[in-house]
Amino acid sequence: MIWPFEPFELAFMQRAALEILLLAPLAGLIGAQIVLRRLAFFTHAVGTATFPGLVVAGPAGISPALAALAAGGVFATALARLGRVRGLGREAATALLLVAALGIGIVLASDVFGSGSGVDRLLFGSLLAIGGEELQATAIALVVSLVAVAVWRRTWIASGFDPGAQAALGLRVRIADWALVAVIAIGVIAAVDAVGALLVSAILVIPAATARLFARSVRSLEVGAGTLALAEGFAGLLLAFELDVPPGAAIAVLGGLGFALCATVVALRGRPAGEARA
Amino acid sequence: MSALISMHGLGGGYAPGTDAISGVRAEVEAGQTVAILGPNGGGKTTLFRALLGELDHRTGEVELRARVAYVPQTERARLDFPVTALDVAAMGTYAETPWYRRLGEPSLRRAREALGAVGLENSEGVLFGELSGGQRQRVLIARALARDARILLLDEPFGGLDQTSAQSLHEVLLGLREDGCALLIATHDIHDARGFDRVLCLNRRQIAYGAPETVLDAPTLERTYGGEIITLPGGERAVVVGHHSH
Repeated sequence: MIWPFEPFELAFMQRAALEILLLAPLAGLIGAQIVLRRLAFFTHAVGTATFPGLVVAGPAGISPALAALAAGGVFATALARLGRVRGLGREAATALLLVAALGIGIVLASDVFGSGSGVDRLLFGSLLAIGGEELQATAIALVVSLVAVAVWRRTWIASGFDPGAQAALGLRVRIADWALVAVIAIGVIAAVDAVGALLVSAILVIPAATARLFARSVRSLEVGAGTLALAEGFAGLLLAFELDVPPGAAIAVLGGLGFALCATVVALRGRPAGEARA
Repeated sequence: MSALISMHGLGGGYAPGTDAISGVRAEVEAGQTVAILGPNGGGKTTLFRALLGELDHRTGEVELRARVAYVPQTERARLDFPVTALDVAAMGTYAETPWYRRLGEPSLRRAREALGAVGLENSEGVLFGELSGGQRQRVLIARALARDARILLLDEPFGGLDQTSAQSLHEVLLGLREDGCALLIATHDIHDARGFDRVLCLNRRQIAYGAPETVLDAPTLERTYGGEIITLPGGERAVVVGHHSH
């Protein structure tokens, strides 16, 4: 077999490739909503919030996905309460909780609990060490997300475009909004195995943000984000294999470079797609 | 003509024991336009929410004999969203399209017809953010029409529009009136209100309801706006002061 296919003769590379194939549709469908609803920082924070849960999961003998879900739930509850604190604001509350989650995770991972968890692996992922259990979890996340997208996509688009869609259109916006938060959390937990708690944005945000520069419809944004996630995922995987660097970081760097390149092209060509005229 | 809206002593509010509006009595017939006048906090939005069924009224009754739709100010919609005029109009059909069904040709046909009714049949593929302010307002009206709504609640539709766009929108509203829609239009423009069939003056309670020539006099406007209004000599012109737009 010739390059670039040669490395995929190895079983761990095949599993990593399959993980990327499963994550790409999530990046397209969920990533598009994250970018359209301006939830990128929230998504990054949810990813970081899973860190303490992942640290505790190993020594406690519980499922990492469940521990991450529980940590994400604590984060969402705390954010809902803190976001109402007068004068603090949602963004500041998110930043506060993000730092708190990171700090708690580091403390838990230190000698306090004698945890053997590899902090680097939890923070930056282990795409090359993906096992059958992780693949299964990502596949379940994909199926759940596809169902949620089928049920609520139209409501997400209508209420993202006009926050008062409930009154204007008779749609059940509140339930759909909660479903979107849940789906983002599920997508984050699925991506954590591959790219780590700190780099989930490399899968769920950067490809969609890049596609957003060109997309003139929600559908083209979804397809563009999914395709970019697939391309950047495979390129990052190969780069990591050849250069012996962490794949999560390689995917994030490629995503960042791709965004910078596209943003430059758009700036040279004129205004981005969908920008309002004066 | 039959009344599409009948309000009999309608009252209600958000906080327990405190009514944001009370004593609203009005009959609005098909093909009538009604200006809702009142100061900020006077109850215009509360009245709309009561008609939309979002606010339980504590007193009185409301009878609606057609579907109601709310048309927001264009500032509330996201201009950077990658949706075309047709996409936005088609949103009016979302609520009645089950999630397991694709948005089929009947829905798109209705959205196109709605765009045609507001004079935008040639702009269906244009991104919402690339339309002018007046065109955006017309697309949002088309979205309400695609819901098959015959009662439209319009929240300050002329706000921020230049004279040409406002005139064009006015013609669209006249066309809808001729088609038998009932239009309730929240406005601060007393001069414009004189051009509607009826005027409803609200300041936490109904001050007056009737034809403009009987309602829009200096004493009624002063009771409606309190200290926020200056009536010019002769009573022909009244200016609302201290208003800030949302």
